Amino acid sequence: MSQVRISENGAQFCQSVFDDMMTQSDAVYGVLISTVDGHDVVKCFKQDMPASKLAAMMSSVLALGETVAIEADQQQCRYVIVENSNGYILTLRLKEKLVLTVIARANANLGMLHSITRSAVEKLAEKLK
Amino acid sequence: MSEIKIIITGTPGAGKTTAIAAISETPPVRTDTATTDELSEVKEQTTVAMDFGELTLEDDQKVFLYGTPGQRRFEFMWKILVQGGLGLIILVDCTREDPLADMKMYLENFSDFIAETGAVIGLVKRDMTDTPPLDEFYQALNQQGLMFPVFEVDVREQGDVALMIDALVSLLEYS
Ligand SMILES: Nc1nc2c(ncn2[C@@H]2O[C@H](COP(=O)(O)OP(=O)(O)OP(=O)(O)O)[C@@H](O)[C@H]2O)c(=O)[nH]1
Ligand SMILES: [Mg+2]
Repeated sequence: MSQVRISENGAQFCQSVFDDMMTQSDAVYGVLISTVDGHDVVKCFKQDMPASKLAAMMSSVLALGETVAIEADQQQCRYVIVENSNGYILTLRLKEKLVLTVIARANANLGMLHSITRSAVEKLAEKLK
Repeated sequence: MSEIKIIITGTPGAGKTTAIAAISETPPVRTDTATTDELSEVKEQTTVAMDFGELTLEDDQKVFLYGTPGQRRFEFMWKILVQGGLGLIILVDCTREDPLADMKMYLENFSDFIAETGAVIGLVKRDMTDTPPLDEFYQALNQQGLMFPVFEVDVREQGDVALMIDALVSLLEYS
């Protein structure tokens, strides 16, 4: 079990941010906050997906992205994007110990996804300790 | 064989990342992040994707070393990392509650891979405890019909890590 727990209040705030993201783009069907070491914390999935497995996988993916960025001398990794025939998975760091993952269908506009995700991270980072 | 891939696995905190850092000739690739769960009482960082290091053996053979994450939730990485591998080093942390059970579990987790390749067992943190005795590990291996070398090592020492790699390479060459 993860020691990172957020208050009921905090969880509600996250859910409202997730709802906003899904309203801003109807292609978004999953948002997950997890820890850098791979535990799920809060999520909003419109479709059944294994949150705990995704949380572990996203921490690996983000860690590899960050490592590759350094190896290739490209400084700081902003996002890791996995572009698939049926959609996108976008993941980025949220504060020091958290990870935000956004899962969207293929009809999403990548630029839109970026901006929605960026502004969500700003809101979440401000609220979460 | 001019390039070989070896995988190092074992329980969280056994010393996989430490071993690769001790022996790699190039700065190791690490994917350690902050621990946020009960493991944080033991260590501040844990591997979430892999460790990577390289070294050259006497005959110019290149060895690529891959360290796995120790924690079970990263099991999917174990399967990815063993692809194309030629052998496995299992580190057994002797300060844990049941090191023999840990060894059996890792033999089981990687059984398909081991069946096609081979393994070496490294008993770590022997400076902190001298139990269980070495014999018991050999017996446990025997019971499973396995004949793998078992070493007491300090993975912070380059020479000890080299010993396991050399043993694994000879095991593979002569099997
Ligand atoms: N006293 C003692 N400490 C050791 C020995 N071998 C390793 N250590 C310590 O044990 C710790 C091992 O940590 P890591 O190398 O991060 O372990 P890991 O296997 O990579 O762990 P995960 O990535 O979390 O699965 C380090 O702090 C080492 O210094 C030993 O023989 N004796
Ligand atoms: Mg490690």
